[in-house]
Amino acid sequence: MTVEEIRGGDNEIDRFPIGMRVLAVDDNPTCLKLLEGLLRKCQYQVTTTNQAITALNMLRENRNRFDLIISDVYMPDMDGFKLLELVGLEMDLPVIMLSGNGDRNLVMKGITHGACDYLVKPVRLEELRNIWQHVIRRKVESKSQSKSKHNGEKSDQGNEGGDQNEKLNRKRKDEEEDEENGNESDDPTAKKKPRVVWSIDLHRKFVAAINQLGIEKAVPKRILDLMNVDGLTRENVASHLQKYRLYLKRISQQANMVVAFGSNNDASSYMRMGPLDGLGDFRTLSCSGRLPNATYAPSGMLGRLNSATGVSLHSLTAPPLVQPNHTQTKLQPVVSSNHQNMNLFHGIPPSFDLDQLQYFNKPNAQLTDVNSIEESQIFTGTNLADYTSIDEPRMFRGSSTFTDPISVLANQVGVKLTSTGTESFNLLSNSSGFLDQSGGNQPPNFSSNLIPVGESYSYPAVINGGVPIEAHGGGLVGDVVQNVNRSLPNQKGLPTLAASALACYGSLSGPVSHCRPNGGGSTLVQTDHTKLQSGFVSSNGYGSLDDIIPGMMKQEQGATVLMNGEFGYNPYIAPDRDYDDEPR
Amino acid sequence: MDAVSQLQRQFVEHATSLYREGYLDDQFTQLLKLQDESNPDFVVEVVSLFFEDSEKLLNNLATALQQESIDYKQVDAHVHQFKGSSSSIGAQRVKNVCVVFRNYCDEKNLDGCLVCLEQAKNEYLLVRNKLEALFNLEQQILQAGGSVPMMA
Repeated sequence: MTVEEIRGGDNEIDRFPIGMRVLAVDDNPTCLKLLEGLLRKCQYQVTTTNQAITALNMLRENRNRFDLIISDVYMPDMDGFKLLELVGLEMDLPVIMLSGNGDRNLVMKGITHGACDYLVKPVRLEELRNIWQHVIRRKVESKSQSKSKHNGEKSDQGNEGGDQNEKLNRKRKDEEEDEENGNESDDPTAKKKPRVVWSIDLHRKFVAAINQLGIEKAVPKRILDLMNVDGLTRENVASHLQKYRLYLKRISQQANMVVAFGSNNDASSYMRMGPLDGLGDFRTLSCSGRLPNATYAPSGMLGRLNSATGVSLHSLTAPPLVQPNHTQTKLQPVVSSNHQNMNLFHGIPPSFDLDQLQYFNKPNAQLTDVNSIEESQIFTGTNLADYTSIDEPRMFRGSSTFTDPISVLANQVGVKLTSTGTESFNLLSNSSGFLDQSGGNQPPNFSSNLIPVGESYSYPAVINGGVPIEAHGGGLVGDVVQNVNRSLPNQKGLPTLAASALACYGSLSGPVSHCRPNGGGSTLVQTDHTKLQSGFVSSNGYGSLDDIIPGMMKQEQGATVLMNGEFGYNPYIAPDRDYDDEPR
Repeated sequence: MDAVSQLQRQFVEHATSLYREGYLDDQFTQLLKLQDESNPDFVVEVVSLFFEDSEKLLNNLATALQQESIDYKQVDAHVHQFKGSSSSIGAQRVKNVCVVFRNYCDEKNLDGCLVCLEQAKNEYLLVRNKLEALFNLEQQILQAGGSVPMMA
């Protein structure tokens, strides 16, 4: 079967997937042979190679030569994920990953890198019998575009085929997208629509357009208009949007999962990528008084916080994102240690969101110093879920445009979350959010405190969900927490956040000490963060710091002690005195 | 009982024992299913590849573990390959040894690794001999004009 037969024939649906051209890549000869046998049994047309480089060359030479690629993950000459990315980026062909390792993290990594599917060896025949759906899915999109070009008969069939395909795909695709793609017949394009390569720039524009429109309002037509790229059709955008949405969905799910799993290098790296790039050096923050790119990574976190889920914190853990880029602060990906953190945030009420951030945001002039929020924007509280884990590099490239979510945050806080933002920022943001709750934008101490955040800004740690507290900055968390409590009487939520932030960011430890360890701060850090959690939880969702703090203080001696400690640090230290109503 | 029937019976017994004793698992059955008119020697081809590959891997492993300074990542990569190929054809016992082997690699436990290498070699030789015997029987049946019993 040739491509023509498959694409142009009336019975495309009938004959396909027979003859589907598959390129199989696996460095293990036994496995490759087996895969070949399996694929032939499915009546596909198989080409095999044991080298990823060869595969790439073949594809580059003629991308229309294959319909689908199946590739192993562990290969000596090139990482399977790398191949996956390149193929997806350059050729936009469906790629299925194959591995002997079915570890969830790897699967996640595969999916986030754009794999259509992830199969675990040994692969069974039944599984391979279904892989053609990935090809059809893509064909449907191009078909819907070209169907109007054909004569009526063909168009009808195309539509029907498309509809059928859509139905088949419906399970996995976004239904809206399907309908959108399949039912609209926009301008007829070439029968064999040339594949659009979604280069980084293109994707960036795409993401920028989406940010501008807002993820809910982002429809292909408008995105296309905003992007203003010649030769790009609405259909191209529609299909890309579909993938993007799926990606976002997966990322947000993963973010939680990652948190749950704690470490995952891959997963966390994803989370990390976007916004967190910058979590800057806390020290810088304290020094300069501005929030270094608060990598508000956990946009998801915020988003999550906002959501009614009690575990919004989980998202916070996403902190891995928050990792500061600064060399100084080496925040470990919070994610890895997330498990622990999760508890911390239980208490955070869903209401925690941008409002709270605003709390923080307000007033620090310093905050404004922060660089523009880039990817971190994605993480703004609202709708962060969508963006949270956009770690995929591709995705993030465009993240700079995600101004919406972050900008909100940024505006309020004055801190611009940049990828290099500091974690502290996040914390700050978070804290602000929390604070807000309590007081409605009056970041009591925050304003001033916010800035210093850099160091003591344990908030970010908080974001992480807590695990970090110990992990990272051990003593810092405590300190931060302490500070938080102390300095921000109203900042109920903060302490915990701070603590967690500290934990997360490890780096906090350094600065925190400067800040004024509330005595015992460091020890606190070591305390079980559950304590913090409890303290945290007790706070009512940061509605009012006042409530929270006292509550926290009462609840956990240890934790609260921390809380009393500088909150994040510098910023808090100062205001700390002012705000601190409670006796330490 | 005529020769063919006898051979066939032997074949079935032998095959059954392989499954029963865990030398082969269901994956091998899957392999058999892939053989058909368009692919008549599929099983033998794949299994031969496995033998070749395995011997190479075992040699590489022996070499790697003899180094003064052992590169466990490399060892692990070999074991991973071995595990992949053995599980592809259903050589269950070999695969199981590989699993343990990898754990030792993670721990950088040389003794554990050496023990596993020995075990892997033994299991491989065992399954190789048994598979060769099976193919032999198959050949004899075919030569005697009989048909090879299907394995459920």
